[in-house]
Amino acid sequence: MSIWNYVVTAHKPTNVTHSCVGNFTSPQELNLIIAKCTRIEMHLLTPQGLQPMLDVPIYGRIATLELFRPHGEAQDFLFIATERYKFCVLQWDAETSEPITRAMGDVSDRIGRPTDNGQIGIIDPDCRLIGLHLYDGLFKVIPFDNKGQLKEAFNIRLEELQVLDIKFLYGCSKPTIVVLYKDNKDARHVKTYEVALKDKDFVEGPWAQNNLDNGAELLIPVPPPLCGVIIIGEETIVYCSANAFKAIPIRPSITRAYGQVDADGSRYLLGDHSGLLHLLVITHEKDKVTGLKIELLGETSIASTISYLDNAFVYIGSSYGDSQLIKLNLQPDSKGSYVEVLERYVNLGPIVDFCVVDLERQGQGQVVTCSGAYKDGSLRIVRNGIGINEQASVELQGIKGMWSLRSSTDDAYDTFLVVSFISETRILAMNIEDELEETEIEGFCSQAQTLFCHDAVNNQLVQVTSSSVRLVSSTSRELRDEWHAPSGYSVNVATANATQVLLATGGGHLVYLEIGDGRLTEVKHAQLEHDISCLDINPIGENPNYGQLAAVGMWTDISVRIFSLPDLILLTKEQLGGEIIPRSVLLCAFEGISYLLCALGDGHLLNFLLDLGTGELTDRKKVSLGTQPITLRTFSSKSTTHVFAASDRPTVIYSSNKKLLYSNVNLKKVSHMCPFNTSAFPDSLAIAKEGELTIGTIDDIQKLHIRSIPLGEHARRICHQEQSRTFAICSVKYNPSNADDSEMHFVRLLDDQTFDFISTSLLDTFEFGCSVLSCSFSDDSNVYYCVGTAYVLPEENEPTKGRILVFVVEEGKLLLIAEKETKGAVYSLNAFNGKLLAAINQKIQLYKWMLRDDGSRELQSECGHHGHILAFYVQTRGDFIVVGDLMKSISLLIYKHEEGAIEERARDYNANWMSAVEILDDDIYLGAEHNFNLFTVRKNSEGATDEERGRLEVVGEYHLGEFVNRFRHGSLVMRLPDSDVGQIPTVIFGTVNGVIGIIASLPQEQYTFFEKLQANLRKVIKGVGGLSHEQWRSFNNEKKTVDAKNFLDGDLIESFLDLNRNRMDDISKVMGVSVEELCKRVEELTRLH
Amino acid sequence: MSMWKKIGDRETGRLCTNRFANYVRSSRVSSLSLSNYKDIVSAHRGSVNSLQVDLTEGRYLLSGASDASAAVYDIQQATDFEGSGLVAKHRPLFVVDKRHEHGHKYAVSSAIWYPIDTGVFITGSYDHFINVWDTNTTQVAVNFKMPGKVYRTAMSSLSMSHMLIAAGTEDVQVRLCDIASGAFAHTLSGHRDGVMTVEWSTSSEWVLMTGGCDGAIRFWDIRRAGCYRVLDQSQSQLGRRPPLLQRATVNKASTSKSSSAGQSSSMKTRTPQRKIANGNVSKQFPISRLPAQAKGSMRQRLHPGLLSSQDRATAHYGAVTGLKVTEDGMYLLSAGSDSRLRLWDVESGFNTLVNFETVRLQTSKMIQLATTQDSSLVFVPCMTAVKAFDVWSGKTSLIFRGHYENVNCCWFSSQDQELYTGGNDRQILVWSPSKSFVEEGKDTRKGQVHSVDEDNWSD
Repeated sequence: MSIWNYVVTAHKPTNVTHSCVGNFTSPQELNLIIAKCTRIEMHLLTPQGLQPMLDVPIYGRIATLELFRPHGEAQDFLFIATERYKFCVLQWDAETSEPITRAMGDVSDRIGRPTDNGQIGIIDPDCRLIGLHLYDGLFKVIPFDNKGQLKEAFNIRLEELQVLDIKFLYGCSKPTIVVLYKDNKDARHVKTYEVALKDKDFVEGPWAQNNLDNGAELLIPVPPPLCGVIIIGEETIVYCSANAFKAIPIRPSITRAYGQVDADGSRYLLGDHSGLLHLLVITHEKDKVTGLKIELLGETSIASTISYLDNAFVYIGSSYGDSQLIKLNLQPDSKGSYVEVLERYVNLGPIVDFCVVDLERQGQGQVVTCSGAYKDGSLRIVRNGIGINEQASVELQGIKGMWSLRSSTDDAYDTFLVVSFISETRILAMNIEDELEETEIEGFCSQAQTLFCHDAVNNQLVQVTSSSVRLVSSTSRELRDEWHAPSGYSVNVATANATQVLLATGGGHLVYLEIGDGRLTEVKHAQLEHDISCLDINPIGENPNYGQLAAVGMWTDISVRIFSLPDLILLTKEQLGGEIIPRSVLLCAFEGISYLLCALGDGHLLNFLLDLGTGELTDRKKVSLGTQPITLRTFSSKSTTHVFAASDRPTVIYSSNKKLLYSNVNLKKVSHMCPFNTSAFPDSLAIAKEGELTIGTIDDIQKLHIRSIPLGEHARRICHQEQSRTFAICSVKYNPSNADDSEMHFVRLLDDQTFDFISTSLLDTFEFGCSVLSCSFSDDSNVYYCVGTAYVLPEENEPTKGRILVFVVEEGKLLLIAEKETKGAVYSLNAFNGKLLAAINQKIQLYKWMLRDDGSRELQSECGHHGHILAFYVQTRGDFIVVGDLMKSISLLIYKHEEGAIEERARDYNANWMSAVEILDDDIYLGAEHNFNLFTVRKNSEGATDEERGRLEVVGEYHLGEFVNRFRHGSLVMRLPDSDVGQIPTVIFGTVNGVIGIIASLPQEQYTFFEKLQANLRKVIKGVGGLSHEQWRSFNNEKKTVDAKNFLDGDLIESFLDLNRNRMDDISKVMGVSVEELCKRVEELTRLH
Repeated sequence: MSMWKKIGDRETGRLCTNRFANYVRSSRVSSLSLSNYKDIVSAHRGSVNSLQVDLTEGRYLLSGASDASAAVYDIQQATDFEGSGLVAKHRPLFVVDKRHEHGHKYAVSSAIWYPIDTGVFITGSYDHFINVWDTNTTQVAVNFKMPGKVYRTAMSSLSMSHMLIAAGTEDVQVRLCDIASGAFAHTLSGHRDGVMTVEWSTSSEWVLMTGGCDGAIRFWDIRRAGCYRVLDQSQSQLGRRPPLLQRATVNKASTSKSSSAGQSSSMKTRTPQRKIANGNVSKQFPISRLPAQAKGSMRQRLHPGLLSSQDRATAHYGAVTGLKVTEDGMYLLSAGSDSRLRLWDVESGFNTLVNFETVRLQTSKMIQLATTQDSSLVFVPCMTAVKAFDVWSGKTSLIFRGHYENVNCCWFSSQDQELYTGGNDRQILVWSPSKSFVEEGKDTRKGQVHSVDEDNWSD
């Protein structure tokens, strides 16, 4: 049962909703404060750029973020109000480097209707009061007293019902607001009111202005000496004050954000809906405004907030694209733009759709999102793994092997990098300028391919080629001894450590040599019945220079054998099964446990527990890491051992809590790897890939890596097709140059490796792509892309016509095979029992794929089900259909084969406005609704009455605080059957704010444990601004607020690991569980994402 | 604008969800017409007087009729289908009538759900009784004997601390019947004639509004004695906030107004549960400009010292026949036998002077009004039709013609955006947003909607 769910964020929100600049952390420091819906980031402005100071979660969706300075204070306070009517005032505590709460409270009212146009929170420039517009018809005032403390709030009636914006005017003897509003007839006006604090009422203000631009939506109050207000419309900009009125026409645009440049308020930056940045200048003679001027500066991401920092540096916060740090230059560049983008901050939001693909079939998904909107639309490839920070690289083709060598046995760093090619060996070394330079080791044979190299004791190096083993002094670089392969035999594979060499020649000969000071001694020889494919004598016993065991992989009988050293006695023979030969074996120890890893030619990896005494192999496990032969190599990072598996899908194998874990490396095919720890590049790896040798270090943690594919248009739906190795997207291209917002709608085909558009189908005028699906039908072996569309006619409220288009991919082209007209928008498509299930307006419709007499195919409707308001989201499982309705929550339908009919089985009678649904298991369905909640419902098959069976019972409720656009089954981490977390089913979700999250269905025992931990963490970890976690996570909509149930907040639980030891101890005591055990269990959960 | 575009804007976060929902609701409301896919099979053999869908699930419709019957219908789940499965028939789940051992003897004038769950419903009848029914057993749990015909009963949807049924009867006194104790908790005296209609505030569980045959609308804080406000149709808010220039002079006379304590915000956190408004509305001074009174005395408690001239104020000429508070708690709509509909500002008690284009309203009977969730429309039974008026302009938006005789009651289900109406023709009609398969289905009944001002609704 998937009732007990754990919700955790894998990728934090990146949609920047608010930003402000001020002296928050100290009177001398200038800070940029950014709100990302449910998080706040604080930055310090330094000559080097923005320096992050703090990134904290807020238990609420931030509606207002304002800096202000009460009388007598040397630095600013931060006012935050949340959408659920909580507010707090924060002050920076320099001692602890944390914000402390100055005030907090609840500003909700029983009376009034929540505003349609968003909540407004403003602070009087003279700090006499905070004004809030939260409910239509009410203006809430929180007055300050003389000491800057907040007093009790009160409401003032505001007759204007459709308020668009409210701002405080500067330079008024009494606090005065200016209100921009719409009347009954949709005309827009501004009006001013003085706030009479004593009387708790308004007094009509000094001026008003009627009949403004029909698109006027934004007010900018102008500071002294000019005062007054700027009203930004779609076609005009107006400056208005008691004694002046100036207007200029502008190119039609919707201004979304503004930033004030000068303290005197004479210049403003305006950002519009198409990402154009303008400078608005108020021209004035002394205090008298003479006019307005506007100038185009250039293009940025579509701004949701603009903060002018200093010295022409500007922060552009965006909801639809990456946020940016830009510089405004005095002179335009060659394209006439004054804007220079200095930095981009990744924003995945809004994620309107995504798909989880496992291109390498490893059990690890990568998420491909439709991110951004309008011109900033993009695809983002998000994958978990280990990143390589490239330090240096050289072009080198045909590398067959690499080893690093030290110049003396005691040297802490490596000096040489031996690179082997098909018929030669080259040696690279670090020179004094820290550059890789080709050098020579005279004693080495450079005219042959090197099979193996190693540092040996007594300042010696060992090189194995197909004809001999050479022992070379690392100081004089001269040959000291050489062992020759018997004539007629050549060495095929070899391995060595500091004192031992093991090699195999053709004919199954296994030869064991020991290394002395200037001497190579053949100690033992064994004849095996088959040829040897791979070897390893990595010492994992007590002596780091001498191995007790040898692992040998065999051709022909496909086995791996363990021999004892030095006598080469066979201890164990393990048949691997199958027909794929072992290509690399490795003896290694993690956390004191010895393993044998054995990699096969087809990308599979076997691991065994190895008994060092007996050589016994137990606990065999098999995982798939790639599709091509793997080469295993150990390396150490942060003084722990890891194994690098080089293949087409490079992977790092490591151990945590005595379990082997696998993590992808974010590189394409790697053929060879060796650690290369030099003084210039400590802890680095040398990596051979695709004609290139790279030196780099690895990230110490697993994290998400994001690749961006800018589209220049807005992708709304995405789907992957494995067979054709393509993605199909439905996208919209806006044409801003054209005044009548003309749009083009496409179905595009993308290569799943290069992400290039390889084929495009242009939809009809007014035709939108609404859904896309890759599926096949019964009695037809082809795989198709089905696209559902809607004709969105300007005069129609709800589409009455759409199409289902069936495409096949042939030679990289989209080929239309069939089309079917529908009586409405095709909101959703699902493959269903070899047929196609479509959600069309109110109806669920099932189509058969029929073969016509002429051999062509067509979609033929079979049956349908009415009874929805709008069926937006549909998921299926077996014969069951789960529908997420526009406003009527989730219903469960069943397809009856005998009758060929779809019937309703059960329904959730709550009025949830859905945004996504998913089936967790046979009985539990997950829904996201548009007040940012998650809930689960259960099918009640055992109900006593029809009424009970016909009702989906709500079993879980939780306030996520995010608008979920899509759920998909899958995982961002490699899910191996042998790990604990491998058994936990997970669903990934994507949200408007760019959050990628995971919902994991835990076993009940585990859930209960973590529920207790969460309750204890709530007591220890206090929310910023004193906001309550319990209230934040309570399910909340228009009708009700109830405590969260059967959902846990993984972000809170995982923050246990960041607590200091004392607080961990406290929790450990209450829980009655040791800190180590707690850490271990929480760490296990962190591996879900 | 098209739904698909709105969905796109919601997906990207450009359109906030609240606004999206309001857009969908209002566009659905603008397409309301006699339902061609949903039928209520009326169980009544007399005029339908009262309709209510339960407040918890929005699933069960309760009706009360002049044949002394009350019935419950499941409006979400149809009993059966007609018209090749396209028309859902909703037959009563049960009926209680004269044949029931505790059934009413005369007309049921009012039938309401207990606001907290559907386990209990309340009927008021011309036989002087108020019955409290257990829904599951259809037995009377408690009943109250009233001094005369019961016109209207009401319970507070906010109440967390009381279980009071407010009852308006032939008698001049309004009674509060306590379900918990089975006794009368209060009698509210002030009306000079029978009380046709009672309505609880939607912002304070203590505030009750009553409309009498004497033309008065009285506001009561049930924790205190007496009525604290009588609405006066001549008292409007024109010039409530004088312009700046006149302020100096007016200030002396003081336009001070205190805000109600129920609206103030506490600086501490509150429980996350439903807010219990502690609306001490009595502090409020109802009339703004009383030159004689000094500032200090402005906040004195008005009642019981309500001036007799104020106490005699009327809201309508003739009887007040219907009351409806908007969901946001800010406005009160009243209908009178003077065929007028008035919109009142609850906080100040002012007549907003919106001129509703009513022509004729029923005069002799209480009428049940309904509003949309966003309070933009009010549905008013206007003889045989129901009209939807724009609350702010008073203009007629929609006319619903379908009943053959006078309409008595309407209920708007904000969950489904459906309007239910009941009339003297014994029918309960469903008016629902149009569905696009209309062309496919058969045309059904006589009804027809007349849309007068469509422009108001296109966005």
